[in-house]
Amino acid sequence: MDEILKKRRTLQETMNFMAALSAGIEPILGRGANSMTMSAGRNLGRKFSAGAKPTQDLMEAIDEVRNILVANNCLWGFEPFKPQQQNDFITSTPEGDQQLLLVFRDCMIRQALLRFGHLQQGSLCNMMYGFFAGALESIMGRKTTLEIKHAGENSCLKLLTVKK
Amino acid sequence: MLEMTIHENSCRGCQLCLDVCPTDCFVFDEQTQKARVAVVENCIACLSCAYICPSMAIRHKDYHQVKNFYRNIEFSSRMEKFL
Repeated sequence: MDEILKKRRTLQETMNFMAALSAGIEPILGRGANSMTMSAGRNLGRKFSAGAKPTQDLMEAIDEVRNILVANNCLWGFEPFKPQQQNDFITSTPEGDQQLLLVFRDCMIRQALLRFGHLQQGSLCNMMYGFFAGALESIMGRKTTLEIKHAGENSCLKLLTVKK
Repeated sequence: MLEMTIHENSCRGCQLCLDVCPTDCFVFDEQTQKARVAVVENCIACLSCAYICPSMAIRHKDYHQVKNFYRNIEFSSRMEKFL
């Protein structure tokens, strides 16, 4: 128990430190900060998913990403979301891309940002986009984007698009 | 099961909750000139509506509450040397 508490404290403080760093570099680097964190996230996603099971099923791939995060002790809980008026979780665009809404509840980035009043949807949130892009690129072999539809105080809604 | 309620007497009909909700849980009742919950099943418990409501009229129950990280003085003092 002591070990878990120690690890949790370290994670929390490191994330608070990261949030402060990202909030500090954004005004200096401008939009460049986003591409840096996106690239870092993509590398992390590729690295973590190196041994993941390849699949073309988006729901299976999402489960695989979740397993990867759990296996690597990452506090990034998410679940697919389907509005009541929608029949399936996965929808298709006229261009043939697949789309899926994801709700993020426990997010170590948001929990760190709000601790010190930093803004959401910044460069650290872009790291999550990069992570999904990297992981799904390895699992499905397709390009992916993760757009933030809404950044809330208790959960965020994001739109995952897997290109044709 | 998540519950969301709007205190009818407190609502001023400003429609900020309708604007902020990403999943369109609310509708505006033209007759009463107040907002009301239409599709509670769509609520993702982001709590943006509760935070933005100037009358604090919106309440949520039975949802997963995410707690912000706390500040640990011992660890902060160790990090100070890098700052």
